[in-house]
Amino acid sequence: MSSRITRVLAMTVTIAVAVGTGRIASAHHSFAAFDMTAEKTITGVVKKVDWTNPHIWIWVDVTEAAGSTETYGFEGMTPNFLSRRGWTRNSMQPGMKVSVTFRPMKDGKPGGMFVSGTLPDGKVLTMRGGETGQ
Amino acid sequence: MTSTQRRVGASLIAVVTASASWTIVGAQEWKAKAPTAADWAALAKLPDFTGVWEAATVGRGGGAATAPARGAGAPAAPRAGGAGRAGGPPRGPQLTPAYAEKKRALEARRAEDSETANCLPPGMPGIMGQPYPYEFLLTPGKVTIVGEAYMQVRHIYTDGRPMPTDPDPTFHGTSIGRWEGDALVVETAAFSDTTMMDRNTPHSDKMRIVERFRLTGPDLMTIETTVTDPEALAAPWTTTRTLARHRDWTTREYICEENNRNYVDAQGKAGIDLKDSPGEKKEQR
Repeated sequence: MSSRITRVLAMTVTIAVAVGTGRIASAHHSFAAFDMTAEKTITGVVKKVDWTNPHIWIWVDVTEAAGSTETYGFEGMTPNFLSRRGWTRNSMQPGMKVSVTFRPMKDGKPGGMFVSGTLPDGKVLTMRGGETGQ
Repeated sequence: MTSTQRRVGASLIAVVTASASWTIVGAQEWKAKAPTAADWAALAKLPDFTGVWEAATVGRGGGAATAPARGAGAPAAPRAGGAGRAGGPPRGPQLTPAYAEKKRALEARRAEDSETANCLPPGMPGIMGQPYPYEFLLTPGKVTIVGEAYMQVRHIYTDGRPMPTDPDPTFHGTSIGRWEGDALVVETAAFSDTTMMDRNTPHSDKMRIVERFRLTGPDLMTIETTVTDPEALAAPWTTTRTLARHRDWTTREYICEENNRNYVDAQGKAGIDLKDSPGEKKEQR
């Protein structure tokens, strides 16, 4: 991976709501389904990556305390946005051990909104976005 | 054929004839001329709008490291670039009392999201306020704007045709443009009543939108948008947005229904659907 891409990936960022103007423009959806006041981090193994619109979904198998495995789902931004800012569909791959920080779902289902993920080599992936939205 | 049958038949013919002529007048009253080589060459004299553009504020970072906490269903982020940002006119549309009441009624539903969560595009003017790119295509007598979000297309006719007399209401309305010096001025009318002028803010069938597109730098475009609506607005509502050009970008596919797990239900409740996900337990089906 080039250092440029690494730098881009390492930039911190915001998944924010989109309202580029004084008019409507909320982007695809609001954050109502997520608890935006909470932040959790889990560690697990990437099971599958949906590099799809309107959002990417990263599925991670997490071993719970009781020994059972739960698959968490993390919603990221659109691949359109991410591919212009250093991500590729292979940035996270099945089998990678990762830790993911996320805004949990309000209904308690396993998963939430992807905030950042740390790869086995220590690289950190974020949803780069300034004033942009999901 | 009896005389009654003849009378009924004649009436039917009259009705069909009348509706057919109404349709012709309303929908397709202009025949574009075939472009000539000179028409194609003339495009080179117009301001160069070609390429892929995105709001200049998107993706620059500079915010918090993570999304700020927000209340349920409050996609109201900082409004950058609006005309009201630096002490100008107030932000947002100034509504007439009747439409202010409509807005209050809609807000009382406390919907957590809008239909865009279900992949329904917002229509105008919202489609021009997306945090996604736009590509401008110039061909003789026409400017086409491809909006990446929801893969939307706006057709702007610049061949001198007038606004149709009674266009059908649509999400993007009917757009007629003209070049005024270096500015493309676009007037748009006839909007679907399922779309909103702004969040929780309906429009009447008299809404008109005038946009002024102008290059303000080698790779910068400013769009000044003025919405008027004699029933809904107490004053014209003007906003300004700046787009930056990215010559190294292409417009990408955006099929919202490809894998949309977000939704808002009829009661306005937003949620996430994990069905058919790799983690779904069979008993949850």
